[in-house]
Amino acid sequence: MLVDFEVIKRAQSGDSGAFNEIVLAYRKRILGHISHLIARTEDVEDVAQEVFVRMYYSLDQLRAAEVFEPWLYTLTKNAAYDYLRKQKRRQEFRMSDLSEQQVTMADAVAGGKAEQDDQYHKKIRESVDALLGAVSEADRILLMMKEVEGLSLKDLEKIYKVNENALKVRLFRARQRVLKAFGASDSKQAGKAG
Amino acid sequence: MRGNNEEKLDALFRAFAACPTPEPSANFMPTLWQKIEARQTFTFSFRRMANAFAAAAVALTLALSVYMYVPRTNLSLPSQTYLDVLADSHPLVAPELVSPARLEYEYGR
Repeated sequence: MLVDFEVIKRAQSGDSGAFNEIVLAYRKRILGHISHLIARTEDVEDVAQEVFVRMYYSLDQLRAAEVFEPWLYTLTKNAAYDYLRKQKRRQEFRMSDLSEQQVTMADAVAGGKAEQDDQYHKKIRESVDALLGAVSEADRILLMMKEVEGLSLKDLEKIYKVNENALKVRLFRARQRVLKAFGASDSKQAGKAG
Repeated sequence: MRGNNEEKLDALFRAFAACPTPEPSANFMPTLWQKIEARQTFTFSFRRMANAFAAAAVALTLALSVYMYVPRTNLSLPSQTYLDVLADSHPLVAPELVSPARLEYEYGR
């Protein structure tokens, strides 16, 4: 916990100073989570603010301060999901739609050849964003929380409130879809090279 | 056995996870409070409108209830039945042919 339970309780009773304290403590972490979930850096701050607006209006629904972090994560997941739903840009995006440059980037990452600069990170984000077009918004978020955020199945169970086996099945299927898209584009790339 | 693509995908995800986290801008907090207040205003307006609508509905219900229960002084109940009134206003040309009373009389006889 980045803040004391007492601060959360004060914020619940309407103390705006305590609310500010929570936001300041968690905003960096939330920005990080969202940047992994939505990939578009220009919209990350907007979605993070939406998370805190929702937190402000639903803080009184938080029954126990102990579950604050999973609860905040759920708000983050929901806000990211809503954002992705609004963004109609996905439109049956497939890995085959990736540009050659993006596919080359995915290969370069695997070989560790690329340079660590802003352009490189941007391309990584674009590649992942395009790849995740192979799965639904909900599966995308789940996959990112597991694969990129490194959340355990236990953590995900708390967030999704479904059992571990159901999550495993969903994760497996989502990963297989992404892999299939990745493989299809990879072979297309190899065909062009050959 | 993990395929080559699986390894590549894992590497891509690792690289994605290692991308730097965006820093909050200087306007993060002011914009956040603006958004909170904007939503508060909207919620407040909506609540006020809903309250006004509910109050109007209650007032209308009470008014209608009073109107229905107050005895009407100028109410004149008709002494005749609908059929009587109808028969008076449209006298039959040949009542002996169609009048039920006459038929009943003839049947009884």
